[in-house]
Amino acid sequence: MDVRAQIVMVFNLDKCIGCHTCSISCKNIWTDRQGAEYMWWNNVETKPGVGYPRQWEDQERFKGGWVVDGKKLKLKAMGKGPTLASMFFQPNMPKIEDYYEPFDFDYGNLAGAKESKDQPVAEAFSQISGKKIEEIQGGPNWDDDLSGSQVYAAKDLNLKDKKVIESYDSMFMQYLPRICNHCLNPACVASCPSRALYKRGEDGIVLVDQEVCKGWRFCTSACPYKKVYYNWNTGKAEKCIFCYPRVETGQCNACAHSCVGRIRYVGVLLYDADAVEAAALKGDAELVEAHRDVILDPRDPEVCRMARENGISDQWLDAAVASPVYALVKEFRVALPLHPEFRTLPMAYYIPSLSPVLSTWGDTHKLLEHGMIPALETLRVPIGYLASLLSGGNEGVIEEALKKLIALRVQMRAENLRLPADPALLKEAGLDEAAAKRLYRLFTVAGYNERNVIPPQQREEQDPERRKQEAGFGILKKTRGGAK
Amino acid sequence: MLNSFIFIALPYAALALVLLVTPYRFLSNRLTWSAYSTQFLERNILYWGINPWHYGILPILLAHVVGFAFPGVFKRFLGNPQTLLGVESVLLGLGIFAVLGVLLLLLRRVNSGMLKRVTFSSDWLILYLLLFQAGTGIYIGYFMRWGSQWYLHTAVPYLWSIVSFQPQIEYVADLPLVFKLHAACAFLIVAVLPFTKLVHMLYLPVDFLKDPPLLYRWRSK
Repeated sequence: MDVRAQIVMVFNLDKCIGCHTCSISCKNIWTDRQGAEYMWWNNVETKPGVGYPRQWEDQERFKGGWVVDGKKLKLKAMGKGPTLASMFFQPNMPKIEDYYEPFDFDYGNLAGAKESKDQPVAEAFSQISGKKIEEIQGGPNWDDDLSGSQVYAAKDLNLKDKKVIESYDSMFMQYLPRICNHCLNPACVASCPSRALYKRGEDGIVLVDQEVCKGWRFCTSACPYKKVYYNWNTGKAEKCIFCYPRVETGQCNACAHSCVGRIRYVGVLLYDADAVEAAALKGDAELVEAHRDVILDPRDPEVCRMARENGISDQWLDAAVASPVYALVKEFRVALPLHPEFRTLPMAYYIPSLSPVLSTWGDTHKLLEHGMIPALETLRVPIGYLASLLSGGNEGVIEEALKKLIALRVQMRAENLRLPADPALLKEAGLDEAAAKRLYRLFTVAGYNERNVIPPQQREEQDPERRKQEAGFGILKKTRGGAK
Repeated sequence: MLNSFIFIALPYAALALVLLVTPYRFLSNRLTWSAYSTQFLERNILYWGINPWHYGILPILLAHVVGFAFPGVFKRFLGNPQTLLGVESVLLGLGIFAVLGVLLLLLRRVNSGMLKRVTFSSDWLILYLLLFQAGTGIYIGYFMRWGSQWYLHTAVPYLWSIVSFQPQIEYVADLPLVFKLHAACAFLIVAVLPFTKLVHMLYLPVDFLKDPPLLYRWRSK
């Protein structure tokens, strides 16, 4: 057992209202630069939809993630030999049209236009070529709120039955906010011939070393979530940095901090680095459970002992105990990894969405007969769809999570209306009253410090002698990153 | 005069630049050390340009370098006329491949909206230099038989005299002008290498082949 710690984010999809505030705060802080205009380290997609970049889930096209080859894991795209042979032209790399040509508007024309009979307009121009764009062809959320659903949502690979989105009776949508998952088994790291990408041992954040990156571009397609971007200006790869300058000092990520719906939770998870590969080798349907098994219980004294041996401080262990992420992922088992079948063991988790509960108009009365507890198969968001997104196709995993969410709703409704609650329902869902109270609090009234339990890095306590030498006038003489 | 310029001044200037500027750039600003791929912005023409260019020029470059390093082995190897003919034909074919590739790479940057933004004077400079170099190389290969043979008896001893700091230009002084231009362009390419994106060729990812797939970095370890 090799215990390591990671700061992890959980998204409650039920509460996401698709306002894109997270994307904007991220963009303003990190990617408001030349070459990075098209990068959305955080983006919000409408599901069903093609997402950003378009059809990123189509691994037959982009060849991202891992596949099991016999009893070994290998990158879906190519091995090391073909990697060397493809350095000049990377066959799977997404092109700018898969994202969009970044544009801005010529606001200067509004004030500077010559006098004329017509109102001056701010025309769109390309932020790369500078040329005028007659018709904008795409954007980061081009199919927002199911717009153009026959063109975009119909191409969603998770949607087995396209008829669902053709009729207002059965149509549904939900939002999917995405950042880099900072995976336990990151394909981007494995694909890099320069070894520029790495995972930080202390907090699990996956970063691109800009000094080492030579721009070979294998990471851009190896990441099955397409969260490594190529900066056309610097010729290097960039990705979400999990706001490490903020997180290191105990502050919340910009996206989570600005989240209007308070859908995000940030906290520590302990994991067993030795168990990662075996978990990734499991079959699609068992991946979520195997992934959960990699995560360790911070209350287990043996885990704590091994963690301390690995240099994890008491403050971090305390944070791991108080972690809302641990509660949602492992204790309550309601938060699930996005597309576990890509086998990168993603460390961002999603609580599947429940609403809208009612299936069709006619069913409403039937539901009332059942005391407001809809049968899972009558939910408007098909369970198969959620399973395709969040559990590698295993519907049981989704049903287990949804049952808990429904039972919690019924329980809280009864409490609010001072009606007798049926304790059997909670029990059947695997909850008790105390658990329901905790879960309810996390989902609703939990404040900033309950939703985000982020221990700072305590750099000052790590090798204070060395650190003191390094500090001073901001001149860092040693190579960054330290030993491999 | 021309001979001393091409065969003494140029190579030493090029050597000085590449040996001094390259480490300086590496140590002072590694952030600019990139292959500066433009595949993201334009990939259709690139495919037909970049692959022929690299797969054509790399074996030829390798042949030049290995011939320089082990002339004795190659003299014996090319002693057989059939081998000589085979080697020359293959290299000529690769050369034509490379020239067509670099020509496409050059043309694709002409009048291209988005690529214009990522095309700098250094890109034009190296593209023209490489086109000229590959073009003169083909000319020499076709019209001045058998290049791979006389290269070992003229340019190689001359290059050894350069690196041992006892320049003996008589080995190459009487060769035709096109050869001199080929040599001059080679030295120019070496000279501009540290200033352009050609630095990417100094990086060979060999660690990657033996490394485990996942890479962890620890601040404290």
